[in-house]
Amino acid sequence: MIPAAFEYYAPRSLDEAVTFLAAHRDDVKILSGGQSLMPLLKMRLSKPAHIVDIGRIPDLDTITEEDGHLILGGLITYAQIENSDLLQKYCPLLPQTATNVADVQVRNRGTIGGSIAHADPAGDMPATIMALDAEIKAVGPNGERWVKAEDFFLGLLMSVLEPDEIVTAVKVPITGNDKTGYLKAAPRSSGFAVVGVAVRLALDPSNTCQRAAIGITGITDKAFRAQHAERLLTGKKLDAKLIDQAAAESTRNIDVIEDINGSTEYRTHLTHVYVARAIQAALQS
Amino acid sequence: MDNFIGKRTRSKEGPRHVTGRGLYTDDFRLPGMLHAMILRSPHAHARIVSVDPGEALKNPNVVAVVTPQDIKQTTKPFKPGRYAAGLKRSIDEYAGATEKVRYVGEPFGAVAARDRGTAEDALEQIQVEYEPLRPVVDVREAMKPSSAVLFDELGTNLAWNGSLSYGDVEGAFKSADRVVKENLKIHRYSSTPLEPFIVIASYDAASKRLTVWVTAQVPEVIYDGLREALGLQDIRVIIPDVGGGFGQKIHLIRKYVVLVSLLSMKSGRPVKWVEDRSEHMMAGGHACAQEFEAEMAVKNDGTVIGLRFKEYDDVGGSISTLTIHFTNKLNNLSNTYRVRNIALEGFAVVTNKCPVIPNRGIGKPGMCYVWERMMDRVAQELNLTPIEVRRKNLIQPDEMPYATPSGNVYDSGDYPGLLQGLLEKIEYDKLREEQRREREKGRLIGIGVVIAVEPGGRNAARDMAIFPEMKEPPGSGGVNGAKIKLEKNGTLSLHLGSPNCGQAHETTTAQVAADLLGTTPDKISTSIPFDSDLSPWGVAAANSGNNFHLYDIGAIHGAATRLREKVLKLAAHNLQVDPSELTIEDGVVKVPGSATKQITFAELGRIAYNNQHLIPDDLEAGLEATYYYTFPHAKPNLVPGAERLVRAQFTFSAGAHAAIVEVDKNTGAVHVLRYLIVGDNGTVINPDVVNGQVFGSAAHGIAVALGEGFIYSPEGQPLTVTYLDYGKCSAAETPRVEVMHRPSPSPWTALGQKAAGEGAAIPSPAALASAVEDALTPFGVKVCDLPLTPEAVWRLANHNPESERRSY
Repeated sequence: MIPAAFEYYAPRSLDEAVTFLAAHRDDVKILSGGQSLMPLLKMRLSKPAHIVDIGRIPDLDTITEEDGHLILGGLITYAQIENSDLLQKYCPLLPQTATNVADVQVRNRGTIGGSIAHADPAGDMPATIMALDAEIKAVGPNGERWVKAEDFFLGLLMSVLEPDEIVTAVKVPITGNDKTGYLKAAPRSSGFAVVGVAVRLALDPSNTCQRAAIGITGITDKAFRAQHAERLLTGKKLDAKLIDQAAAESTRNIDVIEDINGSTEYRTHLTHVYVARAIQAALQS
Repeated sequence: MDNFIGKRTRSKEGPRHVTGRGLYTDDFRLPGMLHAMILRSPHAHARIVSVDPGEALKNPNVVAVVTPQDIKQTTKPFKPGRYAAGLKRSIDEYAGATEKVRYVGEPFGAVAARDRGTAEDALEQIQVEYEPLRPVVDVREAMKPSSAVLFDELGTNLAWNGSLSYGDVEGAFKSADRVVKENLKIHRYSSTPLEPFIVIASYDAASKRLTVWVTAQVPEVIYDGLREALGLQDIRVIIPDVGGGFGQKIHLIRKYVVLVSLLSMKSGRPVKWVEDRSEHMMAGGHACAQEFEAEMAVKNDGTVIGLRFKEYDDVGGSISTLTIHFTNKLNNLSNTYRVRNIALEGFAVVTNKCPVIPNRGIGKPGMCYVWERMMDRVAQELNLTPIEVRRKNLIQPDEMPYATPSGNVYDSGDYPGLLQGLLEKIEYDKLREEQRREREKGRLIGIGVVIAVEPGGRNAARDMAIFPEMKEPPGSGGVNGAKIKLEKNGTLSLHLGSPNCGQAHETTTAQVAADLLGTTPDKISTSIPFDSDLSPWGVAAANSGNNFHLYDIGAIHGAATRLREKVLKLAAHNLQVDPSELTIEDGVVKVPGSATKQITFAELGRIAYNNQHLIPDDLEAGLEATYYYTFPHAKPNLVPGAERLVRAQFTFSAGAHAAIVEVDKNTGAVHVLRYLIVGDNGTVINPDVVNGQVFGSAAHGIAVALGEGFIYSPEGQPLTVTYLDYGKCSAAETPRVEVMHRPSPSPWTALGQKAAGEGAAIPSPAALASAVEDALTPFGVKVCDLPLTPEAVWRLANHNPESERRSY
């Protein structure tokens, strides 16, 4: 469990980091919280020649409010998300999700930027940032760009991120009176999602659903938005029957995987159960 | 005398372990020590065509490599043990594969380098050419003539088949009102100790002396294994603190000790090897997957008159533990029941999976599973309650000692009392009422009640019962030593024959010795590590949880009693009284009531080692005693005769378990609401220690039932090589276990003590199965197979017959 030899680089500025990444873009990995990368290195499933530790770059660990949005630095940890008063107040779906991630040790080290960049198909954060219509800031040799969450993930551990780009920030909306919730089925309390569901609902005073956003993780090669289900809910009063109908639509056109934690059939069913329960949980939030 | 026995005392080893000050094998660093990695097969089944370490050896920091050729040329195969004795043709098993690999992770070489990272690099640089062979993964497929064969010498994968029959089984089935049949299955799992295998080997070529530090449970296996494989005579085995054993560290670890020793012999340097978690999960040994075809002959009133079953054991890619899960059925073959006619037939099938090893209960959880599932089934078929059926068939307290049909003799126990105590504790009738009410509201609550014996104290001749052709036993009964010494300052030191794997040997033995010698546990230190140069042999106890009570406590009791006699004799001589006039209190030997006639242990210590003039002529100088214990009531049936009657184990603890669960029909998730045990572990020496064993073993059995286990792909690739995938319950999922003691002390052990190690791991899988089936009563389904993963339970609850989504 010793990684193969690599060159370790700990830049003190974003520019320095990007310059180094660009110079070694063919064989380099970025180390953020290390909760996914370190196991891969130790099991030698990944053997990059260069590691860029972005932990010493200043100003990537703040949460700020800006024009009705919140901006989280890429180095913000799950624990910081869980314990942020600002997020609890303005974007509770993030802490609701973070508290479900792995265990305390992982949450103390793992970062939101790392989680998104890693694009694990069973990661919790991807479902949530999709449901929040978040935007992701990537900085590379050609400067910065903002990518919408729905455009970010391409597949199993793949995203639109170039090897020399760093996720420096995530922009999420202030969700105000929206109802939100995150529910996850996992083999154990600290396990990866067999299915994870993030829900954000905007209801008008008559309890009619004006907008529904449902992000799902763990059941296919990447997190996705359950658009068929969302459409069913939108413009309607939410009752148990409608919620169940929408839940049954949540996997339409999705190629549901199977592994040791569940067959395609079971996971599909479980997703329907969890979508319904997550909507109910959100309504009660 | 009972100042400490039976009481909670301050733990002697606990503070060291919880403050990170334990000394485990990995904590030792020797000057010039190299670091090893093991060369393992990535294939389930392949022929090794060639192994070329040339590239790796180019690195000057790579010091030694062991190849299959080295293994073949410089070592000898291990002597076939008692679990391989049934082979028609003997098969050589070396420390590593020499021609063929038979499971993913099978070792066939090793490399040592100046640091661990370089050793890992070197491992990747060793060029191995394989000729992959067809993997054999499924037991039933493996038995077909069309299957590939693991051992060409055998020509079949059915490596052993045999049967045993006690009483008149045919007659019982003929006279039965009804025959109840069921096929049952228990899966592969293990206890996955937090500390994996670790070895340090240091060979001194000048003296031809090999010293090994190893995290092993049985020093004898290491000692004998090294002698057999390397032909060495001068061997020293040191076992420091052990981070969990559970049976995992008895058997397979000897292979690695030999491989690491070979590296030390080749390099002339000490070599350390620390196994990775994933290596341990793929190759450290698994409990056997067992399939049963069971039949019970019953009378309409619920009386069971006969049991017969076939057992198919998936023993993995080695023959060295071929029959271990089958012969262990003899330990609890009768469970708690008065059934006189029992027959069993075993099929030991080799497959391209990790070899099976003894693991907490070894086959006994399977035997208990058969009994307790079948008892529920009988109740269902006869429309009786599961409690009635059990009560009807329990051995009664006035029948103790009770001779079972296979030759076991139960020493003591009140099984109806345990069951009754449990039912009262859980308020069974009220609970059933509550269950009915909740069911009407749509909640699926289930109650499972089971009962089991926990056999303790090994008899090494047991396995002869299935090998009648064996001329002499490979061992019989058990012998176990302890040494006790009164030091010059009046304190005492103990040397045990078995290493401490976390079961509080130091605490418990000090309590016993303190009471026998009239001193306090804080004046007694138990020597850790085990050191074969200094410690007595502990061949019987050898750290298996169900042997400590009989063999180690027996040996300590004997040694302390012997030392007490010496102490009294020396004191009497110096006080000029008769020994019978003396008592010992708090380390002072005295004539009760006299202010002057007393002498302290410290004073006696100074005399015993310094002052010949004050030592009586008929007393050996020094104050030290060694005692080797054997069980004094081991006969009859110590060795099986023509009837195959054998005492498989010598003491019989027991426990009644209740699991109360809630099943989520929509997800299949099982939530354990309550778990209760009323246990009989005989005289409890330390309630904290015994409860610790009960909690741990229950937690394991519950996790086993609910989904922890090893899964293989159809190609024989292990899919569960990290804790993330393996599915062990964490603290969050483990229910609180409520324990009540109702001891029936053994009349045959020194203190009335009985076993408490495997304990709750034996009945808890059956309890969970029973509870889940009970919860699913509205759907009329049967629980036959473990594990009860959420998907498996969901399929049961939703009448989905496709419960076998995986063919492996």
